[in-house]
Amino acid sequence: MRRITEAARAWFVNRQPRSDSQALTQRNLYILPTRGGWGFCITLLVMLVASINYQLNLGYALTFLLGSAALVSMHQTHGNLRRLTLRLRAPAPVFAGTPATLEIVLDNPSGRDRPAVGLGWHAARRHGMAFVDVPAQGSVVARLRHTPAARGRLACPAVLVETHFPLGLFRAWTVWRPATELLVYPAPEHPAPALPAGQASTHGALPNRHSTGGEFVGVRAWRRGDTSRQVLWKKVARSGGSGELVSRDMGASAARALVLDWQAAREAGRWPSGRTGLAGTQAADGQRGQPGQSDDAEARLSRLTAWVLAAERQGMAFALQLPGQQLASASGEQHGRNALQALALWRAAGATKP
Amino acid sequence: MSAPDDPVSLDPGRKQAWRPWPAGLSLPTWPRETRDTLFLLAVIAWTVAPHLMHLPGWCAALTALVLAWRARIALTGGALPGRWPVIAVLAVALVLTLLTERTLLGKEAGVTMLVVLMALKTLELRARRDATVVFFLGFFLVLTQCLYSQSLGIALAMLVSTWGLLTALVLGNMPVGRPSLWRSSAIAARSALLGLPLMAALFLLFPRFGPLWGLPDDGVGRTGLSGTLRLGGVAELANDDSPAFRVRFAPGRPVPAEALYFRGPVLTRFDGLDWQQAALARAPTSPPAPGLATQGLAVAYELLLEPIRLPLLPLLEATPDRPGDAPVLPEWQIWQGADLQWHTERPVGERLQLSARAYPRYQLGLDASPGELDAAKRLPPGFNPRALAWAQQVHQQLGDVDARTRAAAVLGHVRQQNYVYTLAPGTYGRDAIDEFWLDRREGFCEHFATAFVAAMRAMDVPARVVTGYQGAEPPDADGWRLVRQSHAHAWAEYWQEGAGWLRADPTAAVAPERVRSSRPLTPRLGLVAGALQGMNPALAERLKRAWALADSRWTQWVMGWSRTKQFNLLQQLGIQQPDMLHLARALVLLLALVAAGAAAWAWWDRRRLDPWQRVLGRIQQALRRIGVAAAPHHAPRTLAAQVRDRHGAAGEPLAAALEALEMGRYGPHAPRHPAPPEARLWRPVLRLARQLPIMPA
Repeated sequence: MRRITEAARAWFVNRQPRSDSQALTQRNLYILPTRGGWGFCITLLVMLVASINYQLNLGYALTFLLGSAALVSMHQTHGNLRRLTLRLRAPAPVFAGTPATLEIVLDNPSGRDRPAVGLGWHAARRHGMAFVDVPAQGSVVARLRHTPAARGRLACPAVLVETHFPLGLFRAWTVWRPATELLVYPAPEHPAPALPAGQASTHGALPNRHSTGGEFVGVRAWRRGDTSRQVLWKKVARSGGSGELVSRDMGASAARALVLDWQAAREAGRWPSGRTGLAGTQAADGQRGQPGQSDDAEARLSRLTAWVLAAERQGMAFALQLPGQQLASASGEQHGRNALQALALWRAAGATKP
Repeated sequence: MSAPDDPVSLDPGRKQAWRPWPAGLSLPTWPRETRDTLFLLAVIAWTVAPHLMHLPGWCAALTALVLAWRARIALTGGALPGRWPVIAVLAVALVLTLLTERTLLGKEAGVTMLVVLMALKTLELRARRDATVVFFLGFFLVLTQCLYSQSLGIALAMLVSTWGLLTALVLGNMPVGRPSLWRSSAIAARSALLGLPLMAALFLLFPRFGPLWGLPDDGVGRTGLSGTLRLGGVAELANDDSPAFRVRFAPGRPVPAEALYFRGPVLTRFDGLDWQQAALARAPTSPPAPGLATQGLAVAYELLLEPIRLPLLPLLEATPDRPGDAPVLPEWQIWQGADLQWHTERPVGERLQLSARAYPRYQLGLDASPGELDAAKRLPPGFNPRALAWAQQVHQQLGDVDARTRAAAVLGHVRQQNYVYTLAPGTYGRDAIDEFWLDRREGFCEHFATAFVAAMRAMDVPARVVTGYQGAEPPDADGWRLVRQSHAHAWAEYWQEGAGWLRADPTAAVAPERVRSSRPLTPRLGLVAGALQGMNPALAERLKRAWALADSRWTQWVMGWSRTKQFNLLQQLGIQQPDMLHLARALVLLLALVAAGAAAWAWWDRRRLDPWQRVLGRIQQALRRIGVAAAPHHAPRTLAAQVRDRHGAAGEPLAAALEALEMGRYGPHAPRHPAPPEARLWRPVLRLARQLPIMPA
């Protein structure tokens, strides 16, 4: 029975077209009595029987008053959602496993207030709905938190919008599947092993070095043995107290560029069980001792993500080498975003899905 | 699992809510939950209050205690009691109900339990949403108020209760912020007022049929008619102030209150304890009421009978069964028995309106059969020996006189001895008449009537007890005189040769005011009415009259709305011979009209879409002509991509125009509030779309 309802729900959601914005009309609004509504109906029947049996004209009047008000409230509940428009503000990319806040804008072009409009994820089955009042001729932003489980370009989950206003006897709702996709980076491994040492640039792509005179040729992560004069304190302070020290690269490794490589991610060390970003799959792998093929790939992506973040934090130039995809060495925010996107969207050769 | 964050609402500053009091004077600002709970408790208290008059004292005390307890919890933020204390209190209430009402069924016990349940349910009120059951109990409790009275005042009190409950319901469904009570109550009132036309139509047309099943007797001593009579069983009579009927006389001939005897069951059979109707009293006679001879002028009157649940019509003495005099009630079989009582085939379970003519001067039973007279002289042996001995002694002293003289002697005795008229005479034992007549001398009309009849029979005079209603309240502005259940009365008739049955009212002998003023209890003035009476008697009188008039109109048109009036309404609408089927048809037709109206409104509402949607619809239609598969949910950006896809470089200007339109709506410089799309943005789109070659999609 439960499976059947699940299937029915899935079928119902999947037949909704995805759209950038949804205007709520007769076509996509549904309305049914709530449990309280059925209870009210029974109460009215009992009251009617009492009025008939005791020949109470005042009882008839009261029963019909409440019944008419309930009928009116059905239209009001439906009207409380009708003509609202839903749209999603372009979401910022997020990391898998960390909650993302999605902002849904409700526009009310009509001249009436729309109190007590509830929003939530359809899959959450009306748990933890967020309620907003939408003013007349105005807009309201409702923020819903969503934690994507996997990386990639993911479809936004279906949104449930419902209201019980004014009397709670009826529930009007709609299900909206936003067309906007959510870019989800792999979950960074935490704690991640230190950045790999730079390597001789053998691929011809020279690392983009700062050469601002003298022996100072670049920056790199702090290593044992660096003097305190070598530390770039300003950069450390800017990195927001993450505790990672950045040193001037004094030229000894001038020829070595930081390459974040698929292979290197494998060699940097075994993944201790339960200590990577993909805790769930990794725990099972840890017992087997040897990660499976695709899990292995995800773990590598996770580690590479952590490295990209670390390199970006330290302002280091880096190149990214994935099977079938290379990013030349560069630095800066845009480069970091490109690298993360490459990691998010990477697919093994032949695989259709990440 | 994902969990939604707290919503942030960009609420533009709302205007200060209107308050009926100055800004400085405001209720303490309780937290929202506390305020809502206190409001609901106040509404419940208001709803329960009218019931306190007829509920046992313990119930009122318990309810007040529980509500105060709950209010304290709301104010201090303490924990609600667990399940077991509540169940324990409920069990105690159950036992107390059994003790005081002796049953759990029936009206009184039901209302008592309902009130207790309602109060206890508030103790389980954790959040506003838990209140659903409270609302349902509350609405039903409001309905039970009209079991006791359907007066205008009660109707207004019920209206306030209903409004309050609906407001609390609205508050429970507005989870955001702190909506003011005024706003919530305005929303509730809006729902109710919009439903008013439908409610009025349902009220007018819903067929009024009789009870679906029999109702249990209430088993409580009340003033009123019952058809049998037993002395001493009831220690105290509850004064039932509910209306029995209203009567209005044709203008011009004022009828004094002491002449208003409305005849009910005539009790001839006496088995020592109970007085009952004669065996064949209900049988129709032919010709009707053979012994009735009317004299003098007739008094025409109208009668508006409440559902008294007895198979009889309490008509004015003496209303003969003659065309022109007898009432006409379509759908009812009515007849008059030999004892002048008007019978109906079934208990009157609905409001009836009738008009008839009565003759205050009449003679009944001039040629009564020996059998009938014999039955009216029978006294069971072994009961009330002392009273009978007293009567026989008086009989011997009087000698051989007629019945009239003997009756006068007994009435004189009542008048001279200090008999007391009281509604609370206490219980009497087996020989109740002995005890009453000779020892305690305290009683109400039943005591006096039965003792008188017993004494007459002991003196060999045929006599019987007549029950009915006596008296009426003064006429209101429309001339209607109210007769309450507390006007129920018992008097006596004895047979005088050559004169027939003569009425004797021994109660009038001891308490003439009971008969003359026809007001069984002096009306209590309310606090406000009393103060007003003291300050400005003229204004008080005017207000009283206005209220009485409103109340009488209410009774006539709202409470008195009956099947007869429904049929009259249908006749005015042009239906020749209306019946229940016509009513049902009219009702169904009306509901269909309402549904059609709602559908039409919804259709119209769909037409006045968001102007943006309308423009987008036009654009999509134009694009479909040039082969772009534009779906209703496609945004301009998506459409631009499709145009580029389909038309390549030729479609570039159109695609750019579409993107400009999109930026105008969603871009960083878009207006914060949705506004109609600007014509300079969407007109080029349509123009450019027309310039492209038409292609099949």
